[in-house]
Amino acid sequence: MKHQGFNIAILILSGITVAYIIYPLVTILSFTEPAELLNSLTRPQVWNAFIISLVSATISTSVLALFGIPFAYFLAKYTIPGKFVLRVIVIIPLVLPPLASGALLLGVFGPNSPLVKSFPGVEFTQSILGVIIAQIYVSSPFMILASQAAFESVDESYEKIARVLGNNRLETFFRILLPLAKTGIIIGVIMSWVRAVGELGATMMMAYNPHTISIQIFEDNAIGGLRQAISGIILVVVLAILIVIIFYITTTKGRQILSLGNLASSSSSGEQ
Amino acid sequence: MIGPTGSGKTTLLNLIAGLLKPDQGSIIIDGLDITNKPIESRRLGYTFQSPSLFPHLNVYENIVFGLDKRSKKENNIQITNFLKDLGISHLINRRIQGLSGGEMQKVSLARMLITKPKAMLMDEPLAHLDNPTKRRLRLDLRRVLKIQRVPVIYVTHFEDDVYALADSVSTLHNGVIEYTDKLESIFLNSSFSSSSSYSSSSSSFLSNGFTGGNYLEGEVVRSNAGVTIFSIGSHLLETLGSYRVGSKVGIVLRPEDIILSKENVNTSARNIVRAKVISITKQHNESGIADIHLLIDKFRITARITEESRTALGIREDDFIFAIFKASSPQVVREE
Repeated sequence: MKHQGFNIAILILSGITVAYIIYPLVTILSFTEPAELLNSLTRPQVWNAFIISLVSATISTSVLALFGIPFAYFLAKYTIPGKFVLRVIVIIPLVLPPLASGALLLGVFGPNSPLVKSFPGVEFTQSILGVIIAQIYVSSPFMILASQAAFESVDESYEKIARVLGNNRLETFFRILLPLAKTGIIIGVIMSWVRAVGELGATMMMAYNPHTISIQIFEDNAIGGLRQAISGIILVVVLAILIVIIFYITTTKGRQILSLGNLASSSSSGEQ
Repeated sequence: MIGPTGSGKTTLLNLIAGLLKPDQGSIIIDGLDITNKPIESRRLGYTFQSPSLFPHLNVYENIVFGLDKRSKKENNIQITNFLKDLGISHLINRRIQGLSGGEMQKVSLARMLITKPKAMLMDEPLAHLDNPTKRRLRLDLRRVLKIQRVPVIYVTHFEDDVYALADSVSTLHNGVIEYTDKLESIFLNSSFSSSSSYSSSSSSFLSNGFTGGNYLEGEVVRSNAGVTIFSIGSHLLETLGSYRVGSKVGIVLRPEDIILSKENVNTSARNIVRAKVISITKQHNESGIADIHLLIDKFRITARITEESRTALGIREDDFIFAIFKASSPQVVREE
């Protein structure tokens, strides 16, 4: 009897959690009529904002990969005194409220800063560049931490053996570490990209214009309520569903290869 | 190289390979000081306890990983022969995820040997395998390593590994090498050990918890139905297992497996030989146990019985007695 009670409690709690997540998605369609909905989906502002979000997120993620993955390698593989300080620094953009991050970035890139004054003619704020700067800052923990975890999850024996077999550090990185850490890094890329697309607070400070999709939804809601914001909302929901599917495919397929590989390396079964 | 857990065997191999930096001292191979050479330039081979085959590559790709493009082409025939020698040709295109423990260790060995290393470092490669696989692979291992003519430092704490594979034995204790000597010096029945006490090498060897063994060499005369008869000198002895007729075998016989009798008795044991007692000593450290050193025609063996039995039977130097042991006692450790 007690045994049953436990199961029921777990199921109820899980059920409530799932409902909490799904219910809002199910109800958004009730906010507007089909004809109105179709109409609003053709608004060019919304599509512009959407494309700006997608493009800037892609650029941000690329820059982040270029710098973040080597840094993750450094964190995973090098020992220096006080490395824990670096680990703490990495999560700062994660724990800072996005508006605060935006404000801090304005200190560096705002019109009165020395950096901006030495590059006259370059629009650091209220521009796509501003959007990208904000996105890079808030997404960085995802790229770095995911890549670091991926590198750390690769059994060190593989690298040692590659070195003994004549490969230097660089060759070992490309031939062994990167292929085996691939799945974790891809997850980091996806999460960074998603975070960049969804960013609002920091972009609001650094670049209210041109509108990203988040700012567009915010503005539409402020002006016309959910009825006006619905078009932007639908676009991002569809995008979210796509991301979830991609995420699922990557993690299950990728994890299969890695876990079987670890199985083969950490234990040997005797001959059947 | 043998030694208790924690004596530093793996640390030593890691230092030689360059995976660890020494605090002081130097490492010299063939007169060349490699202490400051990076791992990838040392031209050594190193197999770990677990095969650690690269999971994203298949068997062939794993094996040729250490070869550059040019070597791959030039050595294609050599690679095929090598695989045939180890009995893994049929695995060449397989993914490593489907291999058995023994197969993985063979691939791991091939991966290292194919780069023609100056020396091989092996850290208990047979440790995780089940007994039948271990026994089979041990025989293959010696054969392959001899053919490749590569010096090997083999770390183990299995006594059978020592008898099967070693040319010489080193004992390591708390990071210090106590003794290095030829394999023959640790056998109980070695003609090198004096009759009154064990050589310091075998003492060192035995203090590792090894019981010691008699090593005999013979030739297979007949083998069928799981029973093999081999000849040593003028004697025919029986052991279990199937071996090729005509091949030379190295056999280890444990001293405690030998039963002594004053008379020629009829028992189920298949082996009974008449021997002369050459000398009697106390087993290393245990005064309640006696080692009886026997001479049989041209070869010697040492039997181990309790001191009580010895006095009860009245066994003394120069006596003639019968040494009896079952066919299951002798273990074939080498086959050529």
